[in-house]
Amino acid sequence: MKPLADIDSQIVCLLKEGSFVSGQEISTALKLSRSAVWKRINGLRKGGYAIEARPNKGYKLSTSEKPYTTVAVSSALKTETFARVLHFHESVESTNTLARKLAQDDAEEGTAVIAQAQTNGRGRRGRAWHSPKGVNLYTSIILRPDISPVHAPTLTLLAAVALAEAIEEFIAPIRVNVKWPNDILINGRKVAGILTEMSSEPDKIDHIIIGIGVNLNIEAKALPEELAEIATSLREASGRAVDMTLFACSLYSSLEKWYALSLSSGFAPVLAKWRTYFDKVGQNVKVSEGGKGVATEGICTGIDDDGALLIKTTDNVIERVVSGDVI
Amino acid sequence: MDLKEIKLIYKFLKNTDISELEVEDTRGKLSIKRGVVSTGVAPAVMATSVVTPTADADASNAPKEESSNIKEVTSPMVGTFYLSPSPEAAQFVELGALIKKGQTVCIVEAMKMMNEVESELSGKVVKILVENGQPVEYGEPLFHVEI
Repeated sequence: MKPLADIDSQIVCLLKEGSFVSGQEISTALKLSRSAVWKRINGLRKGGYAIEARPNKGYKLSTSEKPYTTVAVSSALKTETFARVLHFHESVESTNTLARKLAQDDAEEGTAVIAQAQTNGRGRRGRAWHSPKGVNLYTSIILRPDISPVHAPTLTLLAAVALAEAIEEFIAPIRVNVKWPNDILINGRKVAGILTEMSSEPDKIDHIIIGIGVNLNIEAKALPEELAEIATSLREASGRAVDMTLFACSLYSSLEKWYALSLSSGFAPVLAKWRTYFDKVGQNVKVSEGGKGVATEGICTGIDDDGALLIKTTDNVIERVVSGDVI
Repeated sequence: MDLKEIKLIYKFLKNTDISELEVEDTRGKLSIKRGVVSTGVAPAVMATSVVTPTADADASNAPKEESSNIKEVTSPMVGTFYLSPSPEAAQFVELGALIKKGQTVCIVEAMKMMNEVESELSGKVVKILVENGQPVEYGEPLFHVEI
């Protein structure tokens, strides 16, 4: 069965602005009953989609503008807990910074922040994340896993798997790759990034913030010069505009699913899925550490069960890399 | 139960291939299993009460203190040590700074997870033991704090 959010997304795609599409047409195309179509249309309306309905004619969009609001996201959510508490803002400094404040004020697990724009979007080690308004997703989610801080870094791979899966749902049949440990690439260009920040005592995690930025609809010509050659968006890659509300909901569903699975069945399924997105095994890779030059170089042999990158160096030693940049 | 003793055993095990350990004495039984996360909560440490760690484990991790009122802040995980939130930003703590319990003193990064390490102690930073950008091990001393 297709994910529910995906059906809503397909209905929105079928609806046109200028002319009516009959309920029968939609039910045939998506193999749904007429009453199921009606129910979903009502759900979409509650989410802010301006859909006109006429007897004997069908449905049409009154405006091509897709709603991207608290109500739109909340009503399209298919999750149990993730993003059920949602802080949706027009603009914030950084969704991770706000999420951390919320976590320090005891926000519960699954609490999410979305901003339509970030004024100081952050990447790793203070790098900037380009965050213009209205085209891309910027979100952070609070987790409070009952695991040892030693094992927490594996959650960054989990976030990458959930994100990769959500992206592929919207750009099929185009596939994505993961750059170790958690950048998402389409044809070698970065489309999404993850910044995970943890606050812990030596034996106990207080909270983990998973911050995710996804280039959804930004056009290549709107990218800053320094990103033009190395970044892309779902829209550029697939030729289709992405409904930001439905994408956000799919991402939360995917994150919740993988998180629940890892808590119930361990980390092995996450690793197995992660490896399907990883295309560097057998290739020469270089890793820099601590912002300095090349620290390790050799043939990548994969990742180990803790998610560390394995590199076979020229003297046939397998180096285990836990931090650094693959360059 | 005495967390400190269990921590010592855990540190000792980290550097070995031992995946399961059971120790029993008059005070009770301790069993430790570690390795690949199979339940999402590894390493599982279950203790009914605590045994004395072996002398070996104790010796290899004995704090190298100049005086008894100097304590260590240690790394909670394997990773890269950073003294500041970004290369341009000021350090979380400078040498000689007075810090409070719960204050962020550094970041340890592993697999792009930035772990903001909070001090468990209040006192004065008398020594920074690791250089910015260097790899650190689990349990490795990072700061000496005079309390």
